[in-house]
Amino acid sequence: MSLTKQIIDATTDIFTTMVMMEVTPGEPITGRVNPFHASISGMVGMAGSHKGMLAIHIPEPVAMAITSNFLGLEVDAINEDVQDAIGELANMLGGNVKSFLTETGSDIKLSLPSTIFGQEYTFQCQDEVETIVVPFTSSDGKFLVELRLQSEA
Amino acid sequence: MGKKVLIVDDSSTMRKIVTRSLRQAGLDFEAILEAGDGQEALQILGGETVDLILSDINMPNMDGLTFLKEKAANAAIKDIPVVMISTETGSDIIGEAKSLGAVGAIKKPFTPDQVNETIGSLI
Repeated sequence: MSLTKQIIDATTDIFTTMVMMEVTPGEPITGRVNPFHASISGMVGMAGSHKGMLAIHIPEPVAMAITSNFLGLEVDAINEDVQDAIGELANMLGGNVKSFLTETGSDIKLSLPSTIFGQEYTFQCQDEVETIVVPFTSSDGKFLVELRLQSEA
Repeated sequence: MGKKVLIVDDSSTMRKIVTRSLRQAGLDFEAILEAGDGQEALQILGGETVDLILSDINMPNMDGLTFLKEKAANAAIKDIPVVMISTETGSDIIGEAKSLGAVGAIKKPFTPDQVNETIGSLI
């Protein structure tokens, strides 16, 4: 299975099982996806046999709808609940990609998840890495899942 | 007397999701306690008796594996069953958790049925 398919399957599974929201993958994007406007990004870093990061980039209204579904509460601003929920989504996606890359789990370490948000920001990593960006559509709008990976193997 | 469970996870979202899953699975607890990391869990266990612990692995301050080691070294709490709930499902990590006393593991994402299958027999 390819990494792209793994990202699509993992995202679909997490949203169906935990967020109770149907999402549809689109064609993977090549090229720049920055800058982001009125959005929130959740990310986890990977270190070890594979270095890189997994991020989910979500426009604010979509992030609030996801958090409402995830937690079963009304959300009207990018607050701590939204940041924690989006960070946890990145964490689950990162863990899933990690399990795809390593069976034992001990040769890749995942960072704790973090989030950034704002009216306009740029998300920058090393250029010389494999980059996969998959867009998803939900009933509340679109979001992106991005994997950047530098393999030492 | 009703049973008590302690959920250990640095994500408040995940603590809420685990709580919801326990209820959806029909697992009835008198009290559901929450801790944000292993250190906080040990503090709670110093004053509370619980029947089951559900713990994440990757956490700040004290991670799940260190928590298992500390718990195993404390005679008052070493026999409380612990189930890991984590994105970490690699054989080395789960093997280490089990060698430190964990009795099971649930992979995130999970369904209430999967929670029931793993912990239903423990309470």
